[in-house]
Amino acid sequence: MSLTLLLDILIGGLMMGGLYALIAVGLSLQYGVARVLNVSHGEFIMLGAFATYSLYILFGMNPLLSLVVSGPFIFIVGFLIHRTLFKRLKRLSPTMDAFEGSSLLASFGLLFIIQNVALLIWGSDVKGYSYLSKPVNFFGAVYAANRLVALLFAILIGIIFYYFLKRTRVGKAIRAAAQDVTTAQLMGVNIHFVLGLCFGLGALMAGIAGSLTSMMFEITPLIGFPYTIIAIIAVVLGGLGNILGSLIGGFILGLIGNIVMYIHPGLSLIAYYLIFLLLLLIKPTGILGK
Amino acid sequence: MNDRVKYFKLIACIILLVFFTTFPFTAFSQTKDKIRIGTAISLSGPYAPGAGMTQIPNYNMWVEEVNAKGGLLIKKLNKRLPVELITYDDKSDIGTAVKLVEKLILEDKVDLLLPPWGTAMHFAIAPVVTKYGYPVMGPTVSSEKLREIAHKVPYFFGILNMPREQGAALADLLEELEVKKVALIYVADAYGIEWTGKVAPDLGLKKMDVVILKSYPLDTKDLSPLLKTIKAAEVDAVLCMSYPNDTFLITKQAKELGLNPKLFYLGVGVAFPVYKQMFGGPNAVEGIMGAGAWNPRVPYPGAKEYFERHVKRWKTEPDRWGSAFAYASLQILEQAIEKVGSIDRKKIRDCIATQTFPTVIGPVRFEGGFNVQSPGEIGQWQKGEFEVVAAKEKRTAKPIFPKPSWP
Amino acid sequence: MTHSTNFLRLLSLLIFIVLLALIPRYAQPYTIISLNSIFMYIVLTVSWAMFSGPTHYISLASAAFFGLGIYVSAILGDKLPLLVVIGFGGLISSLLALLVGLSSLRLRGMYFTIFTFGLSELIRHSVLWWEVNETGTVGRWVIAVDNTTVYYVMLAILLITLVVTYIIKHSKYGLALLSIGESEEAADHIGINVNALKIIIFAVGTFFMGATGAIMATRWSYIDPSIAFNPLFSFMPVLMAIFGGVGQIFGQVLGAAVLTLLADLLLTKLPYYYMLLYGVILIIVILFLPKGLVGLKEEVKLWLRGMKQRYENT
Repeated sequence: MSLTLLLDILIGGLMMGGLYALIAVGLSLQYGVARVLNVSHGEFIMLGAFATYSLYILFGMNPLLSLVVSGPFIFIVGFLIHRTLFKRLKRLSPTMDAFEGSSLLASFGLLFIIQNVALLIWGSDVKGYSYLSKPVNFFGAVYAANRLVALLFAILIGIIFYYFLKRTRVGKAIRAAAQDVTTAQLMGVNIHFVLGLCFGLGALMAGIAGSLTSMMFEITPLIGFPYTIIAIIAVVLGGLGNILGSLIGGFILGLIGNIVMYIHPGLSLIAYYLIFLLLLLIKPTGILGK
Repeated sequence: MNDRVKYFKLIACIILLVFFTTFPFTAFSQTKDKIRIGTAISLSGPYAPGAGMTQIPNYNMWVEEVNAKGGLLIKKLNKRLPVELITYDDKSDIGTAVKLVEKLILEDKVDLLLPPWGTAMHFAIAPVVTKYGYPVMGPTVSSEKLREIAHKVPYFFGILNMPREQGAALADLLEELEVKKVALIYVADAYGIEWTGKVAPDLGLKKMDVVILKSYPLDTKDLSPLLKTIKAAEVDAVLCMSYPNDTFLITKQAKELGLNPKLFYLGVGVAFPVYKQMFGGPNAVEGIMGAGAWNPRVPYPGAKEYFERHVKRWKTEPDRWGSAFAYASLQILEQAIEKVGSIDRKKIRDCIATQTFPTVIGPVRFEGGFNVQSPGEIGQWQKGEFEVVAAKEKRTAKPIFPKPSWP
Repeated sequence: MTHSTNFLRLLSLLIFIVLLALIPRYAQPYTIISLNSIFMYIVLTVSWAMFSGPTHYISLASAAFFGLGIYVSAILGDKLPLLVVIGFGGLISSLLALLVGLSSLRLRGMYFTIFTFGLSELIRHSVLWWEVNETGTVGRWVIAVDNTTVYYVMLAILLITLVVTYIIKHSKYGLALLSIGESEEAADHIGINVNALKIIIFAVGTFFMGATGAIMATRWSYIDPSIAFNPLFSFMPVLMAIFGGVGQIFGQVLGAAVLTLLADLLLTKLPYYYMLLYGVILIIVILFLPKGLVGLKEEVKLWLRGMKQRYENT
């Protein structure tokens, strides 16, 4: 196996992996801390993609720059949704299990709503634009420039987020809540604010991932759900509730998917599910799970 | 729970049931002062982009044009009756489509039906329209399987060109351009499988070397590994039997990876007007070939005018494949109704099956339920227009070979 | 409960069933088709709730069992008589369910749920891959059956499903399932064979899913893996059961019937907004009717009482 091919598989896998990691961390924040298995997570990805697309088409705004505009907006939407919907659901639910069940269903409702809204605003046909759509030579292997940029950006976001978690007070509060919500509350953490924050941050991650994908792939109101599936698999792979685990899970999925794709493109999804199921049967708590 | 209450609940349910099932709600709207045409088509879901490009604008525009004339001419009544179009969303789901078609027929009691989008959908409704006797011409179905069951569905006509002829045309073109090494990839759906099933053997017969032959899933997100493999194989021609989503994906990724074969052919979607814009302008797609071959310069009466009307009405061009066929099918329907003189669906069906009709895609005639006027047709983007480069006799321009590099 | 009330209840139930059976005679032709869909969703919902309801093990694999029945019909439909095909569809689904149950015994809660979902999707993609690369096709044709026959078969399956679920619910097994739902360890301790019960009831429910798939396939005449194993067939029964009230059989039936009718209505009257409205209604019910539609009466009563008190206090 030539070095070029190896590099191809590796870097190509990392590129998709970076994206998956971003999405997985977003979902992990929502499920691990706020305990909402948000099946509408992918719809926020779709919204981010459309937002960047619209800003590019209407104002010629650089896709990377558009994150500054669309990012805060999606964060606020996510935060508000948690405040209005999930906070109330939590209050009404007698047990954590009941809350997980009803919030799962509520997120289905969100999925329907968001998809329909996107359909109404942008229509059903395929949209796309061309940005950095040139080949780049990297040690003999060729990649699309926009993919390299997306990967770098995802890493950048990851690093920023890491410092945010480790060094800021809010980050500490999130980590506390991720470990144990009740204790965190006892320690003086404004828990409802933190939960909403996590949900909003999760949506933000999805939105950023969506903006990045819009550079590389076509956009329709339907692109969200397959990403949600991958996020769920990555989160389980890394260990439900473990944020770092989800990150690793995302990268692993990206790599595996790429490797399998060299064998036969049709098998990568099957590979994902097989790994997923075997993992659940052998070690359900995931790679980094307790 | 109180037993008496439960008992009354049950009685209430029974009364409601009898009422809703026997009351003929729609009988009240049945006065014969207009022609009701129904269609269940994909307004949402994965088929929506295709339907929204190829069929829906043509259906609506045709109805508007007909009504501007006062309606369809019904000779038996000696007057024109305006047309009302009823559109339902089948959500790109076959079960829903079948149910909605039956609803249109049985409950809404429409006079005529227009087909949905895509091979699978046509397969599903062909038996239904035959069962109730509604003639339908499918502009977005291209499958040899249909030939096998054609005798069972006499009310169903395929107007689009079929894989058998398309495959032959493509192989002939490649032979003419002296292509030797070929990579052939296809979408794992009925369309891709069937076209490959016809094209691959044809290429083999002409002694061409198909070095890569692989399928990829319908909702694939990334084909760069496959495209990189193809690039390394240094083939003369890359053929992709693809659907719109993957057509766009492959083109984009080929450009990004610098995959530049001498001949680049893709399937559905190349003929969409948005295709020549989405990669940075018409220059980017110069020389790319695709399924379908129609442009406003084809020598058929009404073609150019149809193109201009479409642009004026929808602010966007029709696509260079299915659109024209969809519009042609409506022209045929209108002419058949005029010839028959009434909305007698059986007579209309027989008329369509036997007569020749002038349309924007030329004179159309059906044999055994299939259009024999539009055999293999391949187009190529040249300077912003989709020229017909195959079949040879129908060319509007010579094929550009090799394909110029990506800008 | 007096004997006469019992007799009246049974009689009205019988009249209701007879009316349903006579529908093809006197009703509008489209009604049969409409009812077919409703029956289908009721069966899927009730058979899902047979196991998942009392035990709280939310299964998202219904599409796999339903789809299996569809494929049995597609493959064997032209070789065997209809009722045999339907029975086969049910049987093979149950066999799959036994396998699934055995392999997932250790999984609880969310893990069980996503396991079932992953399995359903794995089956879908595997069948697709097989069909594309080995069989060389994607879709299959199904032998068509006339609507009236489909209606009677669906009605029969519906009635049998309801009877079976009623019997289980009111038997000691029903109680055992409930105790598994409350605390599996405790149930185990008092001597319930938890594993056996879980697997068997799961398989019983999926039998009806497979049978339904086998008969409904004949309505669509053309099927492929994406149609047969559509994840929506996994999600909708869950939504419908919880929407209607998962604790009672009547709630499950009501939820399925109402949501199916609602979807039909919205689809034809408001084609561009139905998903939006569907989602909004779903969220409203989850927020304000935690017990589902069957809890509506209680909620309204409580609300009225609250209003009355406030009025009296001023």
